[in-house]
Amino acid sequence: MKLKKVTAAALAALTVAGSLAGCGNSGGDTKPAAGDNQESGAGEVQSTQQSDAGSATGGESTKLTVSVWDNAVSPQFQAIADAFVAQNPGVEVELIDTQADEYNNKLTVMLAGGDSDPDVIMVKDAETQVTMKEKGQILSLDSFIAGDSLDLSIYDGAAEQLQLDGEQYTLPFRRDWYVLFYNKDLFDAAGVAYPSDDMTWDEFEALAEQMTSGEGSEKVYGSHNHTWMAFVSNWAVQDGANTLMSEDYGFLAPWYEQALRMQDNGIVQSYANLKTGNIHYSSVFEQQQCAMLPMGSWFIATLIQDKADGKIDFNWGVTKIPHPEGVEAGSTVGSVTPIAINAKTDVPDLAWEFVKFATSEAGAEILADNSVFPAVSSDTVIDKLASIEGFPEDGKTALEVKSLVLDRPLDAKMAAVRKVIEEEHDMIMIGEEDIETGIANMNERAAEAREE
Amino acid sequence: MTSKRKRAIRTNLIGYSFVVPNFIGYFVFIFLPVCFSFVLSVMEWDGSDVPMKFVGLKNFVKLFGDSTFQISLKNTLWYAVFTVPLTLVAALAVAILLNSKIKGIVVYRTAFFFPYVASLVAVGAVWNMLFQPEFGPINELLRFIGIENPPKWCASTDWAMWVIIIVSVWKYMGYYMVVYLAALQGISKDLYEAAGIDGATGWKKIRYITIPMLTPTTFFVVIMLTIQCFKVFDLIYVMTGGGPGRSTNVLVNHIYNAAFVDYKFGYASASALVLFAIVLIITLVQMRGEKKFTDFV
Repeated sequence: MKLKKVTAAALAALTVAGSLAGCGNSGGDTKPAAGDNQESGAGEVQSTQQSDAGSATGGESTKLTVSVWDNAVSPQFQAIADAFVAQNPGVEVELIDTQADEYNNKLTVMLAGGDSDPDVIMVKDAETQVTMKEKGQILSLDSFIAGDSLDLSIYDGAAEQLQLDGEQYTLPFRRDWYVLFYNKDLFDAAGVAYPSDDMTWDEFEALAEQMTSGEGSEKVYGSHNHTWMAFVSNWAVQDGANTLMSEDYGFLAPWYEQALRMQDNGIVQSYANLKTGNIHYSSVFEQQQCAMLPMGSWFIATLIQDKADGKIDFNWGVTKIPHPEGVEAGSTVGSVTPIAINAKTDVPDLAWEFVKFATSEAGAEILADNSVFPAVSSDTVIDKLASIEGFPEDGKTALEVKSLVLDRPLDAKMAAVRKVIEEEHDMIMIGEEDIETGIANMNERAAEAREE
Repeated sequence: MTSKRKRAIRTNLIGYSFVVPNFIGYFVFIFLPVCFSFVLSVMEWDGSDVPMKFVGLKNFVKLFGDSTFQISLKNTLWYAVFTVPLTLVAALAVAILLNSKIKGIVVYRTAFFFPYVASLVAVGAVWNMLFQPEFGPINELLRFIGIENPPKWCASTDWAMWVIIIVSVWKYMGYYMVVYLAALQGISKDLYEAAGIDGATGWKKIRYITIPMLTPTTFFVVIMLTIQCFKVFDLIYVMTGGGPGRSTNVLVNHIYNAAFVDYKFGYASASALVLFAIVLIITLVQMRGEKKFTDFV
C-alpha cells in the first residue's frame, strides 16, 4: 500500500517536472529539471534554472561566429576568416562547423532557438534563404549596401538572382557552374579532336557516339550521365525560358528523349546500373571508363588533387558545357552559395563587414587561391584559377561564363517539388514509366506539393 | 513504530534512488517525446520559434488524401505480410536443424547468427552488389541456368520490395533462431521418448510435439517481428532509399521525410500516430490470440 502511494507521488512529481521542462522552456538550452534528484526521491523537484547564457559572456562586439560546413576539407572558410582577422585586429572569428549532410538541419535548429549565434550564415543551398527570410531570421542587406554604396555588378547578375521581392537578403559568395570534362588521352588515342567550346547538345551526342568503343569490361563510354535529375533538367533550363518550378514539365520531354536515346545506344552507362551500384561519377571518369563528363566546376579541384596525389595518370581537359540550339556558347547552369546575416545577431555591423569582405574581389581571390570558384569573376580571379598548378593550359575557356541560369529557382516550395519530380525522374530513367506518363505525373504531383 | 516506519521509508527511498536514473532517462527521452507527438499531431509546426497552431484533425484528413502516404502504407503492409511468416519459418527450420548434437554445431549456429550482428550498411551494400541487374552474381547465375530476362531487382518497381524482403529474412532470422533454440532446449525429452515408444518418427515428432510446445515462443516471435516490420526504415534507406520511384517507400520513410525534409512536424506526428495505432491494434489482436491458444502449456 505504502509502496503504491510513494510510487504514485514519485510519478506525479516527475510528470509535473517533465511537463515543466518540456513545455515551459522557451530558451532552448535549459536542461530538464529532474537531473540530480536521486536523493530526494519522491519529494520536491528542483525548478529549472534560468541562466542567462547569452548575456553572461560579456558580449563585447569583437567576436563573430560564422556557420560553415565540412571545415576540415574546405580550407577556404578558414582562409577567409584569417584574412578578415588580419585586416581587423582585435576581432575574433569563430567558425561553427557542421557536416555537410546535416548542415541545413543544424542551421534550422540553431536559428529556431533564436540565439545570436551564428552571426553570419553561409547558406549552403540558396533556396533555403527563402524560408529564412519568411521566418524573419535573416537581415535585409539593402541599407548596408546603400550605406557603403556597394557595386553589385561585379557578380555578373548573381546578386540580382538572389533578390527576394526586390530586396537583397544575401550576397553571393561562391558560384559553381557546369563545364565539360574530357579525357585527353582517350581523344588522342582515337585520333579525334578535343571537344570544342561551342557545341550544341546534338553535336555533343554525335561526338559521344564517335568516342564510344570496346565491349564488356573494356568498354569506354562516350560520355557519362550521373543519376542526378540535373543531367536532364539543367540542359532543359539552360536557355532560361523555363524553371523547375513549373506548371507544365513538358519542356523536359526532348531532353529525356536524348538521355534515354544515349542510354539505349550504349553511349552512356545505364541509369539503373549506376543507381543500383551507387556508382560515383568521379570513379567512372578517373578510371577512364568515359571520354567526356559534364559536371560542376567543383570537380576541377578534385581532379587537380587526385592527379597531384597520383590517383590518376592521364591528362584531362575542360571546356565550356554544350548548349541548346540557338543559345550562346558560354551560357551555363549552376548554383550560387550566398551569405546571410542572422537577424538576431548582437554584432550586425561587424557581421556586415565580414560579409562585405568575403564577397568582395579580395575575398574572391582568396577563394581562387583555394581552388574554389568565387561569385566574383574578375580577370584576376580567372587568371588565378587558370594558373592553379595542375589546371589544364587550354582549359581557361571553361572559366569564362557568358550567362548563368540557376539550376533551381529560389522558391520556398522548391524542396518539396524537387522530391516528387525526382521520384518521377527515377521512374522515367529506369524505363518503368514512359516520358509522357512521367511528365504527366510530375505535373500532377508538383501541383499537389505546391499547394501544401 | 515511527522508527520502523522511518526505516521502511528509508529502505524504499534507497530502492527508488537506484531506479530513478533509468526512469528519468526513459521519461525524458521516450515518454515525453511520445506525449509531445500526440499534441503535435493536431498542430501545425515547422520546428522554428514561430508558435505552433492548433489545426484539429486537419493533419489526419490530409494524411488520407496523400498518395505517398497510401503507397507507403500499402508497401509497409506488403513487406510485413511476407517478411513475418518467411522469417518465422526460416528461423524455426534452422533452429530445429541446429538443435542436434553434431560436430561443429557452434560454428553453424554462429554462421546463422552472424548476419544479425553484421553492419547494416555493409550488408546493404553487398546485397546491392549481388542483386546488381546487369553483372551481379545472382543474375549471372540466373542467366547461366537459362533464364533469359532475369528480374532487374532494385531497378524495378515490381522486384525492389522482394529484394528488401529477402535481405530482411536473411539478416533477422539468426536472431529468432536463437530465441527458438532456447525454447527448444526447454522441451522435455520425456515427450519425445514417449512419442518414440508410441511409434512417432521425425516429422511427426516435430508436428505434434515441437511445434505445439513452441507456441508461446512463436507468439512472442510473431509480435516482435510484426513490430519490427512496421518500423522498417534503415535497410530500405541504405538499399533503395525508397525507390525506384516510391516503390519501396514505407511509413517510416514517410514520417522521416515529412519531419526532417519538409519540416512539417505536425503532419509527421499524425503519420506516426497512425503507425502507432496500427501496431497497437495488431499487437492487441495477437495477444488475445496468444491467451486463447497457449492455455495448455
